[in-house]
Amino acid sequence: MYYPPPAQEHQHMVTQLVKCPKCKTKISVTGNPGEKIYITCPNCQEKGFYVLPRVQQEEGRSTEPAAIVVRGLTKCYNNFKAVDNLSFTVKKGEIFGFLGPNGAGKTTTIKAILDLIHANEGEITINGIDVRTHGKEARQHVGYMPEQVAFYDNLTALQNLRFYAEMKHVSKDECSRLIEEVGLGDVGDKKVGAFSKGMVQRLGIARASLGNPPIMLLDEPSGGLDPRGVVLVRDKILDLKKKGVSIFVSSHILSEIQEICDRVGIINKGRLVAQDTVDALGKKLNLKPQITVTVQKMSPEIEKAVKKIPKVDHVTVVGNTLEIVCDATTKATVILAISSAGGTIVDLQMKEPSLEEVFMRYTEA
Amino acid sequence: MKTDTVISIAKKEIMDNIRNKWIILVSIMFAVLTLVVSYFGSIMSHGWQNLGNTIGGMTSFASFLISIIAFMLGYATIIGEIERGSMSALLSLSATRFEIVMGKFLGLGSVLCFTVLVGFGAAGIVIGVNVSNVDYLQYLAFIGITMVFGLVFLSVALFFSTVFSKRSTALGGTIFLWFLFNIILPIVFFGLLLTTIDITTITPESTLTVPLWYYILELFNPISVYSALIGVTIGPVSSSTGAGIIPNPSWYSPGLLLGVLIIWILVFFILAAWRFNRKDV
Repeated sequence: MYYPPPAQEHQHMVTQLVKCPKCKTKISVTGNPGEKIYITCPNCQEKGFYVLPRVQQEEGRSTEPAAIVVRGLTKCYNNFKAVDNLSFTVKKGEIFGFLGPNGAGKTTTIKAILDLIHANEGEITINGIDVRTHGKEARQHVGYMPEQVAFYDNLTALQNLRFYAEMKHVSKDECSRLIEEVGLGDVGDKKVGAFSKGMVQRLGIARASLGNPPIMLLDEPSGGLDPRGVVLVRDKILDLKKKGVSIFVSSHILSEIQEICDRVGIINKGRLVAQDTVDALGKKLNLKPQITVTVQKMSPEIEKAVKKIPKVDHVTVVGNTLEIVCDATTKATVILAISSAGGTIVDLQMKEPSLEEVFMRYTEA
Repeated sequence: MKTDTVISIAKKEIMDNIRNKWIILVSIMFAVLTLVVSYFGSIMSHGWQNLGNTIGGMTSFASFLISIIAFMLGYATIIGEIERGSMSALLSLSATRFEIVMGKFLGLGSVLCFTVLVGFGAAGIVIGVNVSNVDYLQYLAFIGITMVFGLVFLSVALFFSTVFSKRSTALGGTIFLWFLFNIILPIVFFGLLLTTIDITTITPESTLTVPLWYYILELFNPISVYSALIGVTIGPVSSSTGAGIIPNPSWYSPGLLLGVLIIWILVFFILAAWRFNRKDV
C-alpha cells in the first residue's frame, strides 16, 4: 500500500519590525520564513516589500538543533531489516509519540538513538551531537526508561538509585527526593528483589529523571502499571514538558498518546508510515467524526431526513439510536434535520476521529 | 576512561555480590576444607599439619573451587544484565562499555580475592594457633597466587559473558570450559605424554624424562600453571593434573609462571572489552 509522504513540517510564523525607508515609521511584518511581504506604510503610504529571513533570529541567537534527529536509520539482524531507512525529527520541547504494532521496530529505534545497538546505516544526533562518534557526550543529554525496567535485586531502591546517580554526579538528597516523588518513599530501604512490577517501573521513572536531562526517551512507560501508576506517568510527562523537556515516548495506550502528544510517528514493519499531529493525520486519511443520537421515538422520516443531507456518509439505525458518520462541518445540520423531522433528542454523543483509527489505518497489512 | 565511573561500577558489583549467599557459602567451604585437609590431610600423621603441608594438599582443591567461584561470579555478568534489561540503563547513563568491563572486573575480582582471603585466612589463623613454627609468608604467597589464578578464570568468564547471546548458553559454555581445564586437558596432555614414553623402561629408581613440548603445552592450562607456580615457590603439591606427578623443569621460574597467568588475564580481558564493544544491548 502506498502512503503519502509526510507533510512538510509546520513552519513557525516570523514577526519582524521594519522601518519605512521614507518616514522611518516602524511596521510589524508577519509571515512564514522566506516569504515576500508587500507593505504599504500606514503613515506616508509608501509602498514596498520585505522578504522575511529563512532562519528565525531570536535576539541574536541562531536556531538550536532539534532534540533528536534520525536520518536514514537502518538496522538488520541476520538479513532481516528490523528498521528500514527511518527518518524523523523530535523538536525541542515537544512530546513525540512513537507508535507501532509489536515487532515494528520501536525498541530497536530507541536503542539505536542511544547507540546501544549499532545501526547498519544512518545518522542520529541528540541536541546536534552525533551519537555514533560522541556517544557518551550525547547520552548525557538523555534520560532513558527502557521497556524492560530492571535493577539489581540484592540492593535496596535507594542503593540502586544512588549507584546510577554517582554516574551522573547527582546528589544523594536528589535520589531521596526522586524516590518520594514516584511514591516509593516508604520502601526506599527495601531490596528491589521484593518489588512488584509497578514499583520497579516507578523506580525506572526516577532513574530516567536523574540529573534533569533535557531529553527523555520513554519506551512503554505505562506498561504493567495500575491505573494510579498510569496517571502518575502521564502527569510526570506533562510536568516534564512544562519544564521544557523534549520527550520521545513509545506506547500502546493510544488514548494516552492522543491526550499528551504534540506529534506522533507511526512505524510499521520497520518503516515510518506517518509523522504529524493526530488531527493532521486524521484529516489526511479523511477520517470523519461519528455522531450517535438517541431519539424518543424513531420514525422513517427521521432516517430519510438525515440521509438526504449532503456530506453524510453513513447512517445506521438501531432501535431508537442513529449512528451517523458525516463531515465535521455537517454536525449541526444533522441535529437540526432530526429535530425538524419530529425527532425528540434524548441523548447525543460525538466521537472525533481517534488515534486508534489513524493507527489501524496506517498499520493495516 | 573515567576512574570514578569505574569505581562506582566496581563498588556496585561488590555490594551486589557480597550478599550473594553462594559466595558466602563458598568462603565458609574454603575455610572448612582447609581445616579438614590440615587436620586429616595425611594418613601417616595425626593432628594438625603445618601450613606447608596444608598448602600442598589444598592446591588441587583450590584450583577446583576457585575456578568454579570465578565462573559463578563472571559467566553472566554482562549477558545477564543485557538479558534482564539493566545494561541498557547503565549504558544510557553515559558509562562507556570499557568502563563497565573494567568496573566489573575490578569489582568481581575484589569479591573473589576477598573470598579467598577470608576462607584461607580464617583457616590459616586456626592452623597457626595450633602449630608452631608457622611460615606465614609462605602461606600469604599461596593466598596471593591463588588470587591471581582466580582472576584468570574471572577474566575468561567475563569474556564468555560477552560472547553468548543468552545467559543459559553462557552457563553451558563455562561448564564445558571448567571440565576442559580441570579434567579434559590434563587427561589429553598426560595421554599424549604416555604415548611418547615406553612405560616398560620405567623402574622405581629411574627418573622420568619429560619432553619439552609437554611443558610448553602445560602452559596453556592455567590450572597446571597454578600448580607448577605453587610447586616452584612453596613446595611439592599433590594435584589432580599431571603437574603434580611430573617434576617441574628448571626453566619453570616463578616469574615466568606468574607472567603466563597475567597474560591469560590480560588476553581474555582485552577480548571481553573488544567483544562487548561490538555487541548490541
